[in-house]
Amino acid sequence: MIISRILAAATIVAGLSATVPGVQAGSLENLERERALLVETLISGDLSDRERQKKVTLSRARLIDLERMVLRDKSLAMKNTPAVRAAFDNYDLTFLVHASVEKNRMLADHWLQEIGVSTQSLMNTRMGRR
Amino acid sequence: MPINNVSMRGSLMAAAASLALIFAVPHAMAAPGDGASWQPNSSEKLVKLPASYLKKAVDQDYKRSPLAAEMADTESRIRLKLQTLGDLRDAAGRADGELKLELRHQLLAEKQAYLKLMARHHDLRRRRAQTRIQLYEGLLRKLGRDGAGMTPQRIALAEKQESARKRFDASVGKVDMVLFRSSVTSESRYGRDYAKNVAAIESLVHAINRHPMNAKAEIDGKPVSKQDYLRQLAAENEAELATVQQEEGILGYMAKLIGLDALALSEAVTGTDPNDKPEAGDTASVASAVEFFVSR
Repeated sequence: MIISRILAAATIVAGLSATVPGVQAGSLENLERERALLVETLISGDLSDRERQKKVTLSRARLIDLERMVLRDKSLAMKNTPAVRAAFDNYDLTFLVHASVEKNRMLADHWLQEIGVSTQSLMNTRMGRR
Repeated sequence: MPINNVSMRGSLMAAAASLALIFAVPHAMAAPGDGASWQPNSSEKLVKLPASYLKKAVDQDYKRSPLAAEMADTESRIRLKLQTLGDLRDAAGRADGELKLELRHQLLAEKQAYLKLMARHHDLRRRRAQTRIQLYEGLLRKLGRDGAGMTPQRIALAEKQESARKRFDASVGKVDMVLFRSSVTSESRYGRDYAKNVAAIESLVHAINRHPMNAKAEIDGKPVSKQDYLRQLAAENEAELATVQQEEGILGYMAKLIGLDALALSEAVTGTDPNDKPEAGDTASVASAVEFFVSR
């Protein structure tokens, strides 16, 4: 009785897994997802410094591998999509970890610099009503 | 009387041979309909073969075809026919009288058969060269299509990827040193496995590059691209076609010569000779009778 129930359940599970379409993210999509999480961590106002540091360290470790996977992915040459073109248009923003180390910058500083926000520009800002 | 019959028969046969020869060569050339075919396919597999091996693969495919078997058979028959012609010519040189005439006739018939075989051989050679040209041009088109897939946008993307890879390669040592020197971040499983696999891949690639079958194709001792090599192969077969066409002209001259020989043999059999007495009609000239009328 128990065995037949187990078998029935296994059949249902097998049937369901067969009907679910295969979703496979590419190397670039994985990198973009991780990078988005890192940027979210960097700019989040809900995290303490310690929590932010912990999350950034974990995210950076993952990004090292993901960035290298994208750089070594030869199949991307055949994917002439806007996402792939945009990724390789700006090395410094796409490959955040490698570019920041290369330029001897902290990860957050590097990202802010690349999007055009510097300490000087922040100091020059004024609060006002638009 | 028996001699006259033999002469008449010989004359008729020689005349028939001379007539048949006039039509023999073009007929043989225009009748290629048979099972001797070779239909190689310019497949993707062939396109991806190293250029130096490509010709060997095509030649091997040809050797397995009915066309190659027919070519080999025709060539062996031609060799045998040449031996027969030599034997007959020697025998005719030594023979006398009626036997000589008979041997000369046989020699003409064998020459005719030789011409037919040669025409057949030329036809097979032409088919082989044309098939090869079509095959090499098909491969060239396929290679061209692969290159045509590279639009300017795709080329630009590939260039950007290449420059990104170069920048990464230039900085990877520094990145590893900065990131992995601390105890906080250690090298990942991906990093370790990748390094291990890279070593294996490099040794394999080195072995492939050193492999003799992977040697780059050469023309006059200079390495050339696959496209250039294919163009060279196609040009060589165009030259083969031109040679076949020229040799067909030689066959035409041979056929004409055999026709003339046949006419000469026919005259020899009927006994026509410049030293012979004039025929009956020659004495019936009015002028020769004039003297009978002017004298009393």
